[in-house]
Amino acid sequence: MREKVLPVLSVLGIIVVIWYAAAVWMNSTWVYDQAERAGTTVSFAEMVPQTMAQDRPLLPPPHQVVKELWKGVAGQAVTSKRSLVYHGFVTFRGTMMGFALGIVMGVALAVSIVRFRVMDMSVMPWAIISQTIPIVALAPMILTVSNQLGIDNREVPKAIISAYLSFFPVLVSMVKGLRSPDAMQLDLLRTYNASESETFWKLRLPASMPYFFASLKVAVAAALIGTIVGELPTGAIEGLGARMLIGSQFGEPLIMWAALFASAILAGMLIVLVGTVEQVARRRMGGPA
Amino acid sequence: MKKFLTGALFAAMAAGAAQAEDVTLQLKWVTQAQFAGYYVAKDKGFYEEEGLNVTIKPGGPDLAPPQVIAGGGADVIVEWMPAALAAREKGVPLVNIAQPFASSGMMLTCLKETGIQSPADFADKTLGVWFFGNEYPFLSWMSQLGLATDGSPGGVTVLKQGFNVDPLLQKQAACVSTMTYNEYWQVIDAGISPDDLVTFKYEDQGVATLEDGLYVLEDRLADPAFQETMVKFVRASMKGWKYAEANPDEAAMIVLENDETGAQTENHQKRMMGEIAKLTAGSNGALDVAAAERTVASLLSGGSDPVISKAPEGAWTSAITDKALQ
Amino acid sequence: MIWLGGAILFWLAAWAVNASVAGSAAGRSRAGRVFVPLLFGITVLVLWEGVVRGFGVQPVILPAPSAIWARIVASPEVLWADFVQTVVKGALTGFVMGVGAAFAMAIAIDRVPFLQRGLLPIGNFVAALPIVGLAPILVMWFGFDWQSKAAVVLVMVFFPVLVNLVAGLQASERMQRDLMATWGAGYWQALVKLRLPAAMPFFFNGLKIATTLALIGAIVAEFFGSPIVGMGFRISTEVGRLGLDMVWAEIAVAALAGSVFYGAVSVVERWVTFWHPAQRH
Repeated sequence: MREKVLPVLSVLGIIVVIWYAAAVWMNSTWVYDQAERAGTTVSFAEMVPQTMAQDRPLLPPPHQVVKELWKGVAGQAVTSKRSLVYHGFVTFRGTMMGFALGIVMGVALAVSIVRFRVMDMSVMPWAIISQTIPIVALAPMILTVSNQLGIDNREVPKAIISAYLSFFPVLVSMVKGLRSPDAMQLDLLRTYNASESETFWKLRLPASMPYFFASLKVAVAAALIGTIVGELPTGAIEGLGARMLIGSQFGEPLIMWAALFASAILAGMLIVLVGTVEQVARRRMGGPA
Repeated sequence: MKKFLTGALFAAMAAGAAQAEDVTLQLKWVTQAQFAGYYVAKDKGFYEEEGLNVTIKPGGPDLAPPQVIAGGGADVIVEWMPAALAAREKGVPLVNIAQPFASSGMMLTCLKETGIQSPADFADKTLGVWFFGNEYPFLSWMSQLGLATDGSPGGVTVLKQGFNVDPLLQKQAACVSTMTYNEYWQVIDAGISPDDLVTFKYEDQGVATLEDGLYVLEDRLADPAFQETMVKFVRASMKGWKYAEANPDEAAMIVLENDETGAQTENHQKRMMGEIAKLTAGSNGALDVAAAERTVASLLSGGSDPVISKAPEGAWTSAITDKALQ
Repeated sequence: MIWLGGAILFWLAAWAVNASVAGSAAGRSRAGRVFVPLLFGITVLVLWEGVVRGFGVQPVILPAPSAIWARIVASPEVLWADFVQTVVKGALTGFVMGVGAAFAMAIAIDRVPFLQRGLLPIGNFVAALPIVGLAPILVMWFGFDWQSKAAVVLVMVFFPVLVNLVAGLQASERMQRDLMATWGAGYWQALVKLRLPAAMPFFFNGLKIATTLALIGAIVAEFFGSPIVGMGFRISTEVGRLGLDMVWAEIAVAALAGSVFYGAVSVVERWVTFWHPAQRH
């Protein structure tokens, strides 16, 4: 344990120190400018405390961010619209919808790609190209087109954007996984006179599971990015992405930073969650824990 | 469309009975006091009194209200006239049915230290402008001043500013676009005193264009039932606006309650409401045709790259406000 | 309805052709591998055109492929200027700097296992973060021109590359490293001759992830302030002006640029890691 924790903590410590130094350096311009406008001068010792408590810092020092984060998490009822927990939950819900949709799409495509050669040849190259299209460019389009189709729920476009990013890692890993059984294993099943579908259920699918779970961690991070991007510009009104936007518009960097860190914490929780599911599944399938 | 059809059907069947008619309003931007009148009308039950069930959809940076209404996502939108006229040329037949904002709140705010004293000093400076349909008034102003906006020498360098005034604070631009009710105060909040600033209101420069108005699709306006609904909607909305003007603090709090991001502050919204009230003052909702024609003239004069190519016909109607304001 | 019906018929016919080509020996040839996906792409376009015309979808909602193509042909200068601003100046510069920084960092901490153990979990975590959210902050720091876009790209590509490279540097086997030691190779010799080449497959994995991130980062950052040129600028402005054909033209350019970028990295990968089992067909 100590072997692992100590290095991480020291690196974190280094980052915090650099952060503080950068905060002083970057926020000092403002202090000097203000002093000049007021016709006074400030010494270095006077300047440093002033960089630590600005309302609109260029780079807020860590304790300011933590304070704002704490205010948003613990300072409100979790059901309040001012609560970061509430907005985190909105983003979490969107991420989960997109994630689920992405998994279904990824697995379904992978299965048909492995099963039908024509799918493999025609769809696979486009699946790769689809990921090179910057999704943000598509976001407003997805919103209006779903509006046109009569989908009024603003969760839906968000979930589509998020699924668009998260299906790809699942697809790639599942294709690899479903093809992972080697010739010997396939031959064995053939000698048992197993049908195509039996081979799929009894050999290919179980063999693909480790690949599947490995891809989930990447996919869930992608789903979160998709959700936040979807909340940023498409008129989504709640969620961490929307708060970043409002923070930017009203020149309240602290709101922005708090939302950023809240999304980092959410990302951490999602990764742990997926990791746990993976471990439980692996144990139940008889793999090493 | 379907929603509208059923709504019209109900209206016909019930023949004026208390059957709530659904109306969806698409705002131009996020929930803020700029749209206080509509939120007040909703929260104070003014829409309900008219038998309307109004849904208010906030906007965002990537959401063009004309696109939403063309896609059937809204019945009526809040839009600026230049963008609405441009959309009309693109084949979305928007018609102005009411104009709650009598005057324009747009201005350029410059740092005095850059040496800008009058519009003549803009040459070779960097100016921050909003795009997304809000650039039209700026472009027509610059072409009237004879300043090129393509970065050629002697012209101005245009930068697309984000959603705030950072370019000015970080001295990346000599001037940025601000609204009297919002961004200007962010500059002040950031610690720059008004004495260090020079502002040019579009209104004072004679290049003002009409801002927040209510627009609907022309073909739907042909339907008497829809007209009736819009009459009610405009009447209730204007009641909301006048209430907001009279009770700015209460209106700001109503807006705050409706802000789902929970990131807006009381401070900002109360001040914004105070400034908005100045812009809506003097408008009873009816469009001032002279102002609309001024807007058109200003947009047409856009030199080589005019915002609209010809004067629009039928882009506004007084049919709704005439009835609503009886 | 003729348009829609025709498009669906075309779809079915093309699918039948593809299925037969894929099943035949021709499908294994190089030409077949290009033809099948190409025909599939064309079918999608035809179907799109058919749906837009068949249902009379308004051009301000979804323009037809033919209208988009007309726009591309009509405005090559604009598209080129946007491409240079966003892809060349923003994405590529940021990509090169980010990869370079990650490379230098990985080598720098290579000799300090303590730092590596600390940095790897943190780097892994940061690589999973929605760094896109930093875009408005970085635009505030570095100004509105391409420098801020490059900075966003730099941060976005830095962590995936770093994490992959650090993992890759540990990929050589103990026996191989011992062998280097018996030959009396110093740290640098072992690094250049054994450990870096062994790390290349991992490194390129990171690079491939970074290519798609680079374009996304450069375009998103333009939403938060930009000069009046650039793909992100054009997209958000034209959506406001309802010039949807221009928006899709930019999307097409972005997809093309992204694919070429990804393809170029794959080619270099094949050339550098020719010895790796994944490249030996």
